[in-house]
Amino acid sequence: MVINGKLWKRSRTLERSEVMEKKEQKKHQQKQSGPKAERKKSRKQGAEPEKDERKRNPKAFAVQSAVRMARTFHRAQDLKTKKHHIPLVDRTPLEPPPVVVVVVGPPKVGKSTLIRCLIKNFTRQKLSDICGPITIVSGKKRRLTFIECGNDINTMIDLAKVADLVLMLIDASFGFEMETFEFLNICQVHGFPRIMGVLTHLDSFKNNKTLRKTKKRLKHRFWTEVYQGAKLFYLSGMVHGEYQTQEVRNLGRFISVMKFRPLVWQTSHPYVLADRMEDLTDPEAVRVDPKCDRTVCLYGYLRGTYLKNKSQVHIPGVGDFAVADVSFLPDPCPLPEELKKRALNEKERLLYAPMAGVGGVVYDKDAVYIDLGGSHAEHEQEEVRPTTELVQSLIGTHATLDAKMAASKVSLFTGAAALTPEEVEGVGEEPAPVTESLVWDPVTQRERRKAIFTKDEEDEDEEESEERARERNEVKSSKVAPQPKEQFDEDDGAGEDLEDMDEGDESCFGSAGALQWKEGLVRKAAEAFLRQQSAAPNLRKLVYGTVPGDEEEDGEDEEELGGLFRVSRPEKSKRQRADALDCSRYAPDSAHDWDQEEMLDSIRNCFVTGKWEGDTDAATLLKEDEELYGDFEDLETGEVHQGHAGKQESDGEEQEGSGEEEEEGEEEGENLMKTDDDEERKKKRLEKKRRLKERFDSEYDDGDATYFDDLKEEMQKQAELNRAEFEDVDDETRVQYEGFRPGIEGNVGYLQMRVKKHRWHPRILKTRDPLILSLGWRRFQTIPLYHIEDHNGRHRLLKYTPQHLHCGATIWGPITPQGTGFLAVQAVAGTQSNFRIAATGVVLDLDKSVTVVKKLKLIGYPYKIYKNTAFVKGMFNSVLEVAKFEGASVRTVSGVRGQIKKALRAPPGAYRATFEDRLLMSDIVFLRSWYPVSVPQFYNPVTSLLQPVGQKDSWIGMRTLGQMKRDLGVRTQPNKDSLYKPVVRAKRHFNPLHIPRQLQKALPFKSKPKQDQPKGRTPRDLQRPAVIREPHERKVAALLTALSTVHHHKRKKVRSQQHAQHKVFLQQKEREEEQRSRRQKEARKKMYRMLGQKEKKRQRSSLKGAPQDD
Amino acid sequence: MFLLTSCSQMTLDPSPTYPVCSKTRGFSWSWSNNNMANQGLTYDGCNFFRQRLVLSTLSGKRVKIRNIRSKDDNPGLRDFEASFIRLMDKITNGTRIEINQTGTVLFYQPGLLYGGTVEHECNPQRSIGYYLEALLMLAPFMKTPLRATLKGVTNDQKDPSVDTLKATAIPLMKKFGLDGEGLELKVVKRGMPPGGGGEVLFSCPVRKTIRPVQLTDPGKIKRIRGTAYSVRVSPQMANRIVDSARSILNKFIPDIYIYTDHMKGANSGKSPGFGLTLVAETTSGTFLSAELVSNPQGQGDPVLPEDLGRNCAKLLLEEVYRGGCVDSTNQSLLLLYMTLGQQDVSKALLGPLSPYTIEFLRHIRDFFQIMFKMETQKQEEDSQKGGDKVLMTCVGAGFTNISKTLK
Repeated sequence: MVINGKLWKRSRTLERSEVMEKKEQKKHQQKQSGPKAERKKSRKQGAEPEKDERKRNPKAFAVQSAVRMARTFHRAQDLKTKKHHIPLVDRTPLEPPPVVVVVVGPPKVGKSTLIRCLIKNFTRQKLSDICGPITIVSGKKRRLTFIECGNDINTMIDLAKVADLVLMLIDASFGFEMETFEFLNICQVHGFPRIMGVLTHLDSFKNNKTLRKTKKRLKHRFWTEVYQGAKLFYLSGMVHGEYQTQEVRNLGRFISVMKFRPLVWQTSHPYVLADRMEDLTDPEAVRVDPKCDRTVCLYGYLRGTYLKNKSQVHIPGVGDFAVADVSFLPDPCPLPEELKKRALNEKERLLYAPMAGVGGVVYDKDAVYIDLGGSHAEHEQEEVRPTTELVQSLIGTHATLDAKMAASKVSLFTGAAALTPEEVEGVGEEPAPVTESLVWDPVTQRERRKAIFTKDEEDEDEEESEERARERNEVKSSKVAPQPKEQFDEDDGAGEDLEDMDEGDESCFGSAGALQWKEGLVRKAAEAFLRQQSAAPNLRKLVYGTVPGDEEEDGEDEEELGGLFRVSRPEKSKRQRADALDCSRYAPDSAHDWDQEEMLDSIRNCFVTGKWEGDTDAATLLKEDEELYGDFEDLETGEVHQGHAGKQESDGEEQEGSGEEEEEGEEEGENLMKTDDDEERKKKRLEKKRRLKERFDSEYDDGDATYFDDLKEEMQKQAELNRAEFEDVDDETRVQYEGFRPGIEGNVGYLQMRVKKHRWHPRILKTRDPLILSLGWRRFQTIPLYHIEDHNGRHRLLKYTPQHLHCGATIWGPITPQGTGFLAVQAVAGTQSNFRIAATGVVLDLDKSVTVVKKLKLIGYPYKIYKNTAFVKGMFNSVLEVAKFEGASVRTVSGVRGQIKKALRAPPGAYRATFEDRLLMSDIVFLRSWYPVSVPQFYNPVTSLLQPVGQKDSWIGMRTLGQMKRDLGVRTQPNKDSLYKPVVRAKRHFNPLHIPRQLQKALPFKSKPKQDQPKGRTPRDLQRPAVIREPHERKVAALLTALSTVHHHKRKKVRSQQHAQHKVFLQQKEREEEQRSRRQKEARKKMYRMLGQKEKKRQRSSLKGAPQDD
Repeated sequence: MFLLTSCSQMTLDPSPTYPVCSKTRGFSWSWSNNNMANQGLTYDGCNFFRQRLVLSTLSGKRVKIRNIRSKDDNPGLRDFEASFIRLMDKITNGTRIEINQTGTVLFYQPGLLYGGTVEHECNPQRSIGYYLEALLMLAPFMKTPLRATLKGVTNDQKDPSVDTLKATAIPLMKKFGLDGEGLELKVVKRGMPPGGGGEVLFSCPVRKTIRPVQLTDPGKIKRIRGTAYSVRVSPQMANRIVDSARSILNKFIPDIYIYTDHMKGANSGKSPGFGLTLVAETTSGTFLSAELVSNPQGQGDPVLPEDLGRNCAKLLLEEVYRGGCVDSTNQSLLLLYMTLGQQDVSKALLGPLSPYTIEFLRHIRDFFQIMFKMETQKQEEDSQKGGDKVLMTCVGAGFTNISKTLK
């Protein structure tokens, strides 16, 4: 029907237009005069129209209401400020590690397919199975590491912590699943990475409208979870088991240009997403003792901040370990070397997937690299099996290694289930015996450090590694690596380093020696300084050198004296130094004699009265100003004024220029010189411009610059400085300088946290029930105590978490900085139907003691009462206990307050207390106190990755009491006292009040006990018998009743009549009264008026003077 | 009613035994292996005692110091060291200290820095500066702002005096973002050795992080200030000191003002003495200081105030000659704050490193794994700007104050 209506309407309009056409239309009349015409005319003439609407029509923009204007401004500022984030120092290196892209989603949603498609899109290669992280080069400046996330909660938690970008796959035909929301919640807690939704299975919608509606519904739900306007991708359908090429390309484009905000936790902690792992333990040792200590090698890109060698690390799902050694490795997946203005060629599109088993294999010192040699070998790699004999055999060995590991039940990675990553986190540092071997790729400027966990130095290992190194070199020379790679062995590197250092120093100090001081004294001073600073050839060596020289010599002397016997000579100097006075003062150099004029001269310029440097000298500054503002052209006269400083400046230029030229060498021809000169001048000009601009900015922008801008600028400067500082330092040394997390985070202590039960978790949490927490990098089981803060700051223990309220929780766990978020799950084993995340929260405080208390009521009974004083027993056991509570306030159940006075001797623990009223013997006295609760020191890391293969998701830690009872079939035996029984209350019996007769006499009558108390029932003999009337009497009585009724009625009638009459009378009387008062009022008014007039007249006449008549 | 109990304990064990931290042995798959405790550090001798305890407290690493004056006629810890340990115990929570019977071995397991109001009777063998130097290092990282009242000797010949620290260390701390009215160092009473009887009030706000600094330009000295103090001697002494000191310093700069501080009665401590503290302030806010104190009563020859003033002025000139953005006493404080900064580059120009600072750098490497880049900056021969300088550069450890409570 509606459609019909529309049609009808359209036909109507058609008709009308036809009619219109027929009619003669009125011609447009052009204005010849008036403001409009004038404006048009002026526009034709070429005068610029006024662009600013405000100027053209100021009335429209006039302030109508100041309040409204203020509000608008306020709102605009609010919106502006809301957009600000706290600026952070950008600490990413110039060549950042690959971006971690985590692909998440419920099972069967198309995760592997998407990864496969994306990899094909970027590298034109097909991967048969997705196993472990896959690193690819996606662009000139970006590498990506794809990793698939299963639905085990452990995996989800670990991957959410390292993800830079999350691709959240959603099955549109089904809608959202719990896994998606769980992952989102995990992300929220551990710093929110970028999240992009991807809708799949869209081809299952046959109806276009349903599809559209579903998309919209899912999009809006997704927005509420992530943020308004979050990107949601649609993968519409499959072609030959793959997503559509164009859609995948678009997705890839989005990923490769995406920007990431640094997450605080990630940027402040070093971590490694291990690409690969290898067990270096001797197989024989494993065979003999399957539970022997293992040496495991992990390979991956270092992310976050600097990781220090020999530091303490945490491997999620495994535990805490000390790193035995960290070393550089050449980048297996380097970025293209030079950046040209073109897309990547086939050779540069690298793929590195050591667990996925693609391509050829390259052996490193003790590592296996899978090298694809670019995708020029693409055709060979279409078939996954490598062709070369060598490579095949190597892969074979790799497989056996895996098998071995599986057999010994310690494998971390097997099959698709073991895709869990290992982040290695630097927590504390632990000096352990190590050999350092750093490998650095100077071309890519990228360090790859290999983390090996071991304690013992095994010769065998070293041999093995050497062998491997040799092997690798062979392979490399025959096969791979377009870029030259350099490798420093540990000793070589260190040696070179030292040599470099020595050379540098020699040159340095050579020049120092060449310094010719005019006066002998001054030279002496300089030498004294050198003596102090350069007793060792280098300051660095002096401070950080391994052994000071004198001690070495001592040792040698002893050696010389005899092979067997040694002269026991107390190392006097050393001992003295070790036991010397601990004092921070620095004794002055005795060589300096401050009475000498030369000495005084040597510090003359340290004072403002001395000579200033060129750039800060007042005279120079003045000249500079002239140079800046001296040049100007007088526009009226056309004169050009030249500043005087121009010449000087050019002098300076030449000086600088010549200096540079000398450095560059003299081979360059004149031509070059000229261009140099030009460049120099250009540079100068630019410098001048910059300075002018700076000055201008500082003058005019200061008003506009906000605190936020300043902060941002400061951060920017710091970032630049950070990059610049160690750029030119050799990498070996650089590693030593650059940072490391302090060890304090590795300890265990009490953590106080704010926690809230998750809204979607069906049950509240119970105090002292074990809970699995994900905090920092760690997952661990612990026993929390929940508490709430009273208004006086006391932390009162709660038995259960509140339903929809925050509460405190105290646990024994790893010390983690305040403000770190955490989440809790009750179990990680198996699949649960309901929402797995039980609670979320944040760390508030760290301490070595706990402040949680619970209420404790001590009960006592009075055994003697004197007026307001009572002796109470049963509350304490000894005099000492009472002494501790002297002065404490007590109360009875009936509400009488009192105070503990002093302990009594007789029954131990009894005391004297005073109350505000007299106690009864039946009263119960209690004392409210707060008892500190101890938090169980239970910290159990979730070692889910140590479970046998296939049972990684079945880790069960400590069970709750309820679970254990359920599992063991134990019924709770209730406490008998806690059972409810019918309350039997004895009737209270009060004795009658007895007042002595003497007192009775003295009392006033009012207070005298009255004798006429109501008698109880009249005894039978006193009861009067019922009267039975005769018929006649009955008649008489009936008549009398009737008469009296009539009489009553009559009287009532008369009364009401009288009442009405009286009412009328009253009304009348009132009316009369009113009239009379009105009359009186009027009369009074008249009289007053007359009086007033008379008065006025009199006054007037008195003003005029004496009446003439009189 | 309920009181927070500190679980600090201080035990005197009959034998030098202490719980040895079990080493983490490679990959052992038992869960008992997950002890995260750091291994401790071991040192010999009593020198640099404060450095070790302070750095241990900040880094959370336990420390064992052996052979404390073991070859000495009077072996073991001295009273002032015991007093220092007691002070550390007062400002921390959960600290475990074990000392063997002879006092030659000390085991220190640090707790968390607690702060709050602390009152401490410092042993008069060392001046309050000895204790205060450590407090300056620890105070910004407490749970609650520290408000310490230290009683004892305010000025002596061994340690930097309270006046010097007030004039140099406090402005240095301000450069690291530790400002606000909470930062205060006040000399309530002055006490000279050997009697003591002085009192100092030190309060410091707490910070979560410390910002990195770039102190590469020491600037030029624009004014010299100082305090000439005298207690229980003629008030004229101070004036005599001032005159003699000015006679030397006037050759360089006219802007000199030396306050005379004569404390009387209850504020003058128990022993007589006098001294001078000089501070040179530069255009970029650097403070260089020098000080000299008269010999304690009954020890050594009496000192003429004129000599003292002149010598102190010369000491200041020596300090100026050394130069740098901080004077030689505060080098270690500056380096510590640089180490504990964000993971950014900090730079500071120093004069020649004192032996104490050199040892401090080694300790920083031990405790925080931070090494400084040191570049010697030669002075040109006719620049007349004192001796050679050292440019110290480091990347901060990214230290955060884990004691501070989040509200």
